[in-house]
Amino acid sequence: MVALKQEEILRLAEKAVGLAQRKGVDEAEAFVYQGLTTNVNIERGQINKSSRIVDRGLGIRAIVNKAIGFSYTNMVESELVIEETVLKALNSAKASKPDEDWQGLPTKKTFSSVEGTYDNEIVELNSEDLVNIASTMLGAAEKTDRRVFPIEGDAGASYLCKAVANSNGVEGFDHGTIIECSLATIAKGEGEATPACFEFNIERKYDMNPEWVGKEAARLAVSALKAKGIETKNMSVIFTQFALQQLLQYTLINAVKADYVQRNQSAFKGKIGKKVASDIVTVHDDGLLNGGLRTWKFDGEGVPQQKTPIIEEGVLRNFIYDNYTAMKEGKESTGNASRAGYLSTPNVAATNFRIVPGNESKEDLISGLEEGLLVYFLQGAHSSNPASGEFSVVATPAWKIENGEVVYATKGVMLAGNIFQVLGNVSGLANNERKIGQLVAPWVLVENVKVIGR
Amino acid sequence: MKDILSKTIDVAVQKFGAEYAEARAQKLFKTMLTLKEERVEAVKQGIENGAALRVLVNGAWGFASVGTLNTETLTNAASDACKMARAASLRLKKPIKLAEAKAVEDIVSMIPRKDPSKIPVEDKINTALTMSKIIQGYDSRIKSCTIDYLDLTGTTYFMNNEDTCIEQGKLYVWSRLLATAVEAGVFTFSREEIGSTAGYEIFDVETPEIVGERVAKRAVEQLKAKPPKGGTFPAVLGPNVVGVFVHEAFGHLAEADLTLLGSVLLGKFGKKIASDVVTFYDDGLVEGAFGSFKYDDEGVPTQKTLLVKNGVVIGLMHNRETAQKFSAKLTGNARAEDFRFEPIIRMRNTFMEPKDHSFEELVEDVKFGYYFKGFRGGQASLDGTFQVGIQEAYEIVNGEIGAPIRNASISGSTLETLLKVDAVGKDFELWPGRCGKGQTAFICDGGPHIRVKEVLVGGSA
Repeated sequence: MVALKQEEILRLAEKAVGLAQRKGVDEAEAFVYQGLTTNVNIERGQINKSSRIVDRGLGIRAIVNKAIGFSYTNMVESELVIEETVLKALNSAKASKPDEDWQGLPTKKTFSSVEGTYDNEIVELNSEDLVNIASTMLGAAEKTDRRVFPIEGDAGASYLCKAVANSNGVEGFDHGTIIECSLATIAKGEGEATPACFEFNIERKYDMNPEWVGKEAARLAVSALKAKGIETKNMSVIFTQFALQQLLQYTLINAVKADYVQRNQSAFKGKIGKKVASDIVTVHDDGLLNGGLRTWKFDGEGVPQQKTPIIEEGVLRNFIYDNYTAMKEGKESTGNASRAGYLSTPNVAATNFRIVPGNESKEDLISGLEEGLLVYFLQGAHSSNPASGEFSVVATPAWKIENGEVVYATKGVMLAGNIFQVLGNVSGLANNERKIGQLVAPWVLVENVKVIGR
Repeated sequence: MKDILSKTIDVAVQKFGAEYAEARAQKLFKTMLTLKEERVEAVKQGIENGAALRVLVNGAWGFASVGTLNTETLTNAASDACKMARAASLRLKKPIKLAEAKAVEDIVSMIPRKDPSKIPVEDKINTALTMSKIIQGYDSRIKSCTIDYLDLTGTTYFMNNEDTCIEQGKLYVWSRLLATAVEAGVFTFSREEIGSTAGYEIFDVETPEIVGERVAKRAVEQLKAKPPKGGTFPAVLGPNVVGVFVHEAFGHLAEADLTLLGSVLLGKFGKKIASDVVTFYDDGLVEGAFGSFKYDDEGVPTQKTLLVKNGVVIGLMHNRETAQKFSAKLTGNARAEDFRFEPIIRMRNTFMEPKDHSFEELVEDVKFGYYFKGFRGGQASLDGTFQVGIQEAYEIVNGEIGAPIRNASISGSTLETLLKVDAVGKDFELWPGRCGKGQTAFICDGGPHIRVKEVLVGGSA
């Protein structure tokens, strides 16, 4: 399928808004998304699959008497279907109920400028190039140790475009690239197999190190062999970015969304200006982070993205807003409206949720501990209580730290507690920042975590 | 539609040398609603047409997906898929082969009593609004509720170069209810899902009143609950928790693609892994259930697959690739979320078979333990460790159900836990849900109440 060009995408959005206005809506907004993704897959130690996915479509919000209708289609070549989609949005609005808090779509503002989000080299990659990346990664893992079995992995490149237009004159186009490669391996010892150990690279620019990914995934798996049970007790825990992302995604990140706060689902309600974390914790939602995975000129409803301080030296400063939740409080949107491509209406979401790193190396973090646990992954973080922040999860793989050294892998270990207490007990931040999904963070050391063993 | 797909397949085979080629297409229509408290956030309707081509060239897979049903674009996609496969085959060590499948020609229509596509949107809004009002009216401590509604109707097409040609009606009705309650700084959270492939008539059984009250009551009762003790305890699991345990802790290990990746079930075929009272099925034929369908997305008929019988591993869930590897019979477990995805092995309706105990008999011998009634999520690893989060639980003290417990979770080794199942109830419930494995699949899971001699309970007390 031939990709639509910038002008075509923008024109499509404008056309849909114009059409909706002529059909008599009070307000209209069109969002066009196009994603081209090429992928190469590794399964059971070999590259055996490649795919190319072209997905594009148009989503229309129509507002009639403060009631909101939405409709989408992926058949944007057909004038007839576009018109039908506009009508469906209109009819949906008419069938819906008015929302007294609705105060209008965003107005026109100058978009932010962003850096490090597009790389032509990624757009021009073909499947053979991705086969080479995957192959390098796979080879590096296999060379590391013969007990290592690469089970799954991939190398992928995407080119994403989005355009927005609304009846207040907002219009914009932005595009960006993403490249990634990842590998999961297990190691098999005498009568035991490790949990899957995973590494990856993901960047907006073509800056990859598949050799490192392969080696590291293999090294982790080997060191996860000969796992032992441990005793139940409270101890210091170092969370890697993977574990942190799993833990925060369902708790802290939701707690700062204005939508959650306004609807009494956040433990942070009424806590602006109050101490919510230890002094060393500073968090920004940075929609403009150079090379950030979620850095764009504008958000899902055409509001410029921005950098918003969330927690400064332990004190809660701001929540994140889309246009609707902001106007409800007489505020301005923080540019945090997020969309699932053309398929959904906007929702409040973090952009690049950045925990500002510290000065210590990760080795220093480990060597400072008499006793502790190094946790790579969590199982079951999605079953945390999203409102209270209480969690009860399995730490796997995880390693025991004794006298400043990682001594052995653990098994059957659970962690339990409350994310908001965890924030208060943060006592160390490493300098090894990395990006993973919405999170940008270093390794984080937390005191006094309940560790449940046998 | 047939002509376009068959032309595309011909191009892949004759022009680009594919050994195997399949084309899938969909014409689907969705209606979605989200209500936050009494506010209808948006009424959403979507049209999604698209096609996917999957081919084997030199023993490697190539896949191309396009959001259109136009002949020229599909022909280009066929060329793309073959090019992709050729690139992937460059470093291939073992070429992929497929188990033989019988050619099928069939047209499957859905005949719901209440076709969701014929129900006015206003009625759907009213159903959701009633749920919301019931939840919020239940107790003043309920502070928020979110209702999601989805229905999906339309037709899918499947065709391959082995003379299979299937046109299949699709129908799903789904809703999710979330409620939170707050009192004195304690936040509780309760969730419920409804799902059916029968029709909108699901709301005649799971009425907004019944489901709404169930969700609200749980959120409020949790307010007075205390955290569990951490450690190992005997436990009685309710059907809802048994379901998610069967699905997450065992089921994924028995998906043959994951078994091959080294799940703990590899090499356990014909061996005893669970106590005698444990029998598991994955069944695609349960009428109207959320995980049911007639043909999978490789054109293979679905069936009732026996996975474990009296503690012994009998079968796995297969697609054509893994069935060939294991020299096993086809089970019809290959499913694709939509045209954007290739089919992979997925569960359908996965459950434990009931036996002979009453609930009282299960509980009466427990001196101190927990009754885990409702789950909040679950996850498992290939090495056979699992975690199931619990949203509704009670203490069991001297054989009686006691005080409510909140934010518990259970975990352990799946196989060790299965050996510790010492009694199985005679009741049975099947619960709808959605499973994520890179793509979303609609499923059910369930079983009877069961008792486990001991399980690791994560708690903060």
